[in-house]
Amino acid sequence: VTIVHMMRQVLTHPLDFFYDIQKPNYLKWSQGFLLILLAFLARMGSLLLVGYHFETREAYEISFIFEFIWIFIPWITWCVANWSVSTISDGEGKFKEILVGSAFCLTPYILFIIPITLVTNIIALSEAEIYTFSTTFVFAWVGLLILIKVKVLHDFELGKLTLIVFLTILAVGIIWFIGILLYGLLSQFISFFFDIYKELRFRL
Amino acid sequence: VEILKKLLPKWICTLLTLLLVFMLPMETMATSPNQGYIWDKNGRDVHSINGYVYETSIDGAYLTTGPFSSPEDIFIASDDSIYVVDTGNNRVVHLNTDLEVVKVIGDKEGPGVLNGPKGVYVKDDGTVYVADTKNQRIAIYDNTGKFSKELLAPDSPLLGSNFTYSPSKIVVDKRNYLYVVSEGNIKGLMQIDSKGDFKGFFGSNDVEFSLKRFLTRLIATEEQKAKLESVVPLAFSNLTLDKDGFIYTTTLGTDVNQLKRLSPVGVDTLNQGEKKYGDLIDYSETFQTSSFIDITVSEDGLITALDLTNSRIYQYDKLGNLLFVFGGNGDQNGVFLTPSSVDQNSEGIMFVVDKGRNRVDLFRTTPFADLVHEASTLYVEGRYEEAKKIWEEIINLNANFDIAYHAIGKALYKSEKYSEAMEYFKLANSKGDYSDAFRQYRIEYVRENFIWFFSGTILLFFLIRFGIPALIKQITRKRKKNKQEMVANREEEVS
Repeated sequence: VTIVHMMRQVLTHPLDFFYDIQKPNYLKWSQGFLLILLAFLARMGSLLLVGYHFETREAYEISFIFEFIWIFIPWITWCVANWSVSTISDGEGKFKEILVGSAFCLTPYILFIIPITLVTNIIALSEAEIYTFSTTFVFAWVGLLILIKVKVLHDFELGKLTLIVFLTILAVGIIWFIGILLYGLLSQFISFFFDIYKELRFRL
Repeated sequence: VEILKKLLPKWICTLLTLLLVFMLPMETMATSPNQGYIWDKNGRDVHSINGYVYETSIDGAYLTTGPFSSPEDIFIASDDSIYVVDTGNNRVVHLNTDLEVVKVIGDKEGPGVLNGPKGVYVKDDGTVYVADTKNQRIAIYDNTGKFSKELLAPDSPLLGSNFTYSPSKIVVDKRNYLYVVSEGNIKGLMQIDSKGDFKGFFGSNDVEFSLKRFLTRLIATEEQKAKLESVVPLAFSNLTLDKDGFIYTTTLGTDVNQLKRLSPVGVDTLNQGEKKYGDLIDYSETFQTSSFIDITVSEDGLITALDLTNSRIYQYDKLGNLLFVFGGNGDQNGVFLTPSSVDQNSEGIMFVVDKGRNRVDLFRTTPFADLVHEASTLYVEGRYEEAKKIWEEIINLNANFDIAYHAIGKALYKSEKYSEAMEYFKLANSKGDYSDAFRQYRIEYVRENFIWFFSGTILLFFLIRFGIPALIKQITRKRKKNKQEMVANREEEVS
């Protein structure tokens, strides 16, 4: 089963798709990373192709590293958080299924963001609703796919689904908080030793 | 080594002669101590050509009246004569256009004697209104300088019980209504009629609702509330009146909308939303913010305001676009110790009172500024076509002048050259105008290539009407065929 076929399946029959991926050896790790890479390329493409009057940032304000981080880190943290939260509350999903499945949720974005962005080259700011509406639609689609993914993979009912999603968002927040905290402490720690080294070098 | 020893004295000699040459007094040119700059579309301060250069000074020591003492205000009357409020000497000195003393007001014994005056306004007929700050009154003199009457502190329940009257700046409108800035008064400009009755506050700076403040108040205990900074409206620091009866004000203690143009009903017509005046750098809270203390408006609506924080003078066009910055802190000519007031005469010469040095500095416009002023006046009046040529010249002289690109774009838009207008709006980083030009360009483009669009649409229609159904039919037929084959295969296998 090719990745193109799977992308078509996730768009047209998302429920079936998320049932299918639970079959053993159906998914490959590489597919997840490939899709994230595609999402990143779509993001860069949309930044590049947007009409001048729709630009919100100057070219020098855009860094492709940051753009990648802003797709990659939320994806990874979401998967880790979702897996941790759902595993302790009787979710059935495996980490591989969650990781690759979430990447497949980005399919609408990968496929449609560039055509939508191209539209900004032929519409004026007074018709910006077309653009904003279609981008919101794409994001809503992605959001819905993520919800379906959580529901089907872990076999939750609606009440538990909302609870798990809420807990996952909370967990993502905690992971980021701890990450930033660790970064701050670590850099202080390192700079402390660096200062000691400098001090010693001055004295000796 | 010996050669070096021989050469060394020679080197020293040449160095010494060079030094001497540079130490000789050279002929001075009309250079400004500061390089001109302007804030560009990306919020960076970029080089620009100076708009004003130092010309000369009025130093009281060379006048028959003797040196000034911390002058606080200057007023150029409609006949271009100059009134300097010599606060430390408790008088107002009236000079003519040749910078000679005409008369001195308020120094004679009697009811007209001034005490620490801080502001003056002169009507077209020569009547002089002085804000006699320490006497807490407005003193009025006729055109010969004779004291005619005084307006004492107004009495009104609107003023509140702990109101202290400390008039510092005034203007008088056509109805003979006085608009008074009373120091420390946060309720707005005081409107006083010609009889001295209080008529109400005008154009107050309202405190806007802030969610953060609201939440803090909600949570804080009584003790904490007492410690919180009390939020009060901001006080006006100065005002001026233009020929159309609009009052321009300066406000202290804020980063945005420090300058305002109040319509006769007291509504700010200069700023839509929040606009920053002065230098745009975001200082952290411990740093100083700009503090505009005086403002003057030309016949054509150019706004010039004085910022005490960095002693610089900023000039804006009628729409609030920055044109020039000049002045600064220092001891040279062209910069100030402590500037206190600014005004201009009908020829566009800028008079800046330097309280710290007890003199008035005169600045004249550069040819570049003359061009910009002319273009800006035409532009504001909507005569884009005439302005366009001048703006193009301005860009040739100074490519950093972003408003020129915008103005040329407007002119091109008016003359229906939309694709060129788009280019210029792009250079001016004006996305809204770019979008408008683009919209027009799109209409034009479709109209010009109508045949292609028309035939394309027809083609598309036929494609959708007949092509796609045919395609679908073909695919379904193929699938059926495949299925039949598969079924046949299976049957074979089974059998």
